[in-house]
Amino acid sequence: MTFEELTTYLTEKFGDKLELLETGKFEPFFLIKKENLVEICEAVKTDDKLLIDFLCNIGAIDTGEKFEIVYNLASIKKNIRFDLKLVMEYEGAEVDSVQEVWPCSNWYEREMWELYGINIKNHDNLTRFLLPDEWDQGHPMLKNWDAPDFKRMPEVE
Amino acid sequence: MGIIKKVPVYAEKFPGGGIITTSLNYIFSQSQASSLWYLLFGTACCAIELMATGASRYDFDRFGMIFRASPRQSDLIIAAGTITKKMAPRLKLLHDQMAEPRYVIAMGGCTVGGGPFYYDSYAVEKGIDHIVPVDVYIPGCPPRPESLFEGCLKLQEKVKLQKIQDWS
Amino acid sequence: MTEGLRTEEFQVNMGPHHPSTHGVCRFILTMDGEVIVRAEPVIGYLHRSLEKICENRTYAQCIPVMDRFEYCTSMCCNEVFALAVEKLAGIEVPEYAEYLRVIMMELNRIASHMIWYGTTALDLGAITPFLYSFREREDILDMFEMTCGQRLTYNYIRIGGVSKDIPPEFIPKCKEFLATIDHKIDDYERMLTENPIFMVRNKGVGTLSPEMAIAYGVSGPSLRASGIKYDLRRDDPYSIYNRFKFDIPVCHNGDCYDRYIIRIKEMRESAKIVRQALEQLPNAEVNTGKMVKANFKPAKGEVYSRIENSRGEMGVYIQSTGDTKKPLRVKMRGGSYNQLQVMPELVKGVKIADVVAIMASLDIIMPEVDR
Repeated sequence: MTFEELTTYLTEKFGDKLELLETGKFEPFFLIKKENLVEICEAVKTDDKLLIDFLCNIGAIDTGEKFEIVYNLASIKKNIRFDLKLVMEYEGAEVDSVQEVWPCSNWYEREMWELYGINIKNHDNLTRFLLPDEWDQGHPMLKNWDAPDFKRMPEVE
Repeated sequence: MGIIKKVPVYAEKFPGGGIITTSLNYIFSQSQASSLWYLLFGTACCAIELMATGASRYDFDRFGMIFRASPRQSDLIIAAGTITKKMAPRLKLLHDQMAEPRYVIAMGGCTVGGGPFYYDSYAVEKGIDHIVPVDVYIPGCPPRPESLFEGCLKLQEKVKLQKIQDWS
Repeated sequence: MTEGLRTEEFQVNMGPHHPSTHGVCRFILTMDGEVIVRAEPVIGYLHRSLEKICENRTYAQCIPVMDRFEYCTSMCCNEVFALAVEKLAGIEVPEYAEYLRVIMMELNRIASHMIWYGTTALDLGAITPFLYSFREREDILDMFEMTCGQRLTYNYIRIGGVSKDIPPEFIPKCKEFLATIDHKIDDYERMLTENPIFMVRNKGVGTLSPEMAIAYGVSGPSLRASGIKYDLRRDDPYSIYNRFKFDIPVCHNGDCYDRYIIRIKEMRESAKIVRQALEQLPNAEVNTGKMVKANFKPAKGEVYSRIENSRGEMGVYIQSTGDTKKPLRVKMRGGSYNQLQVMPELVKGVKIADVVAIMASLDIIMPEVDR
């Protein structure tokens, strides 16, 4: 499927649950609402024309104003790629786990919980992951995060 | 070479030959310097270079350096690769488990002082010398096998100079 | 007699400093006798926060950081980042530079598989194969060194092209290497492929079904060993891979032995690609591309680019705000991350010695997992 075919197909199927973003240049990026996340994921996985069976990556982004979460999805059988995106406020950031749909999302979500402090609902193992066990300095991937021994690279013109 | 040339001279002076006199210090430090067994402690990129050094072309064995998987059998830690804050207690533990006299070579920029991860990294220990005492620093990212040889030869020089009385 | 005996599960700690974990991975194994009941990977011992570092670097400065992301195939790491930024900014790479990129990436893939071959044999108790494969790997490193001056972290493929042209002695050296590599791989095969001990240790061990492989996001050679013909070089062609003829080896059992066979075959296919690339290399126009400057700002946008690395799909997600010279977010994805995630499923019910064989055959490397 080309970019246009895929966009039309997905927009027809999900209607106003999806919103095409202009930022995606090569593969379509769709903005969705977090309450529809699991529903849409299940639908794209089981849809005969899409069969999105492969979760490439999940990444959280701290834009400085709010959180974004990007799901990079692919289909091995149909050779399709597109991305879903969620936007949420810092206060009470929370998202549903998609590990029922793609089991490999488990670690990506755990990483997100640890480094960004985004709570994951229905996740079976939210424990220390990448950071040391005795870590107590908060969520280091946040833009405004700081620590005594954390040095920023000086600006070079 | 020194001791081998002198052997006939000393040996003949004793009835029946076959006996050599030398200082205990000399014999201990010479033999220790030429059989430094290193602990296989590779964490990152430098570990690949350490493996290449141990393999065919560079042949680490000719310096008497053989890798050991256990700290109990090794004299030397070659800390090859980034030591993160999570790994640092393990490095200390392994160092403590080694028998005296023990040595540490810091291989690569990360172990010398943070290297490419000095700025903007929240997880990397900036230099291992505040975890364990370091004898030889080898800069480079990663250092070439030749630099590693140079570092090991420097360490051998150091080992040859030490006295038994200094062992604690 | 046995009815009266009570057995108890116990835990064995493996790693983080263990010679066969290929870095610093730790497993907490719950054992029932010699059989594994549960395995829990503990990672993060090599978490160097590469993503945080990239957020505070300019785009050109990110390339050396990407080198450390997966040091066995640094060329591919450079490529995946350069590819993403080129997509964002709409930069065209000259044809000559594309050929050089492909030659370097495929040579790097062979070198990476050689590391895998040597260490796998080492983990299973054979030392000779390690010495053989590292001998040929040095020839590849010589070629890289004469091109970009580094043995491991190359910083060669830059945004917009490659950093410099290959020296005149590169092509003869490369041809000489390609002329012998097939015989060398025959030698490798003679040592392990039919070796009875190797076969017993690998056949039927760690069987990964295609469904589980896809569900856990396993990619690359490990996925193809499970019978799924999926290779991004063919299915989602990047660079100029659609100009070359090569086979995609597939096996169907999904056990450790098949993963071994796939990687051996892949080395030959990569050599094939390099041969074709050398033949097609345009001699008329030597243009290695124009590097971007330090104040380079791509347009606002986001992109996820992915390539076929020797360990599976390597991807990088970049978001640019359009008004700064630093990326807002760089998220890296490595094949080993998912292969390690599937390990607990694979090692259930096997003997403790097979953990080493399974881990070696999946070709897990820790910087890709921890980043």
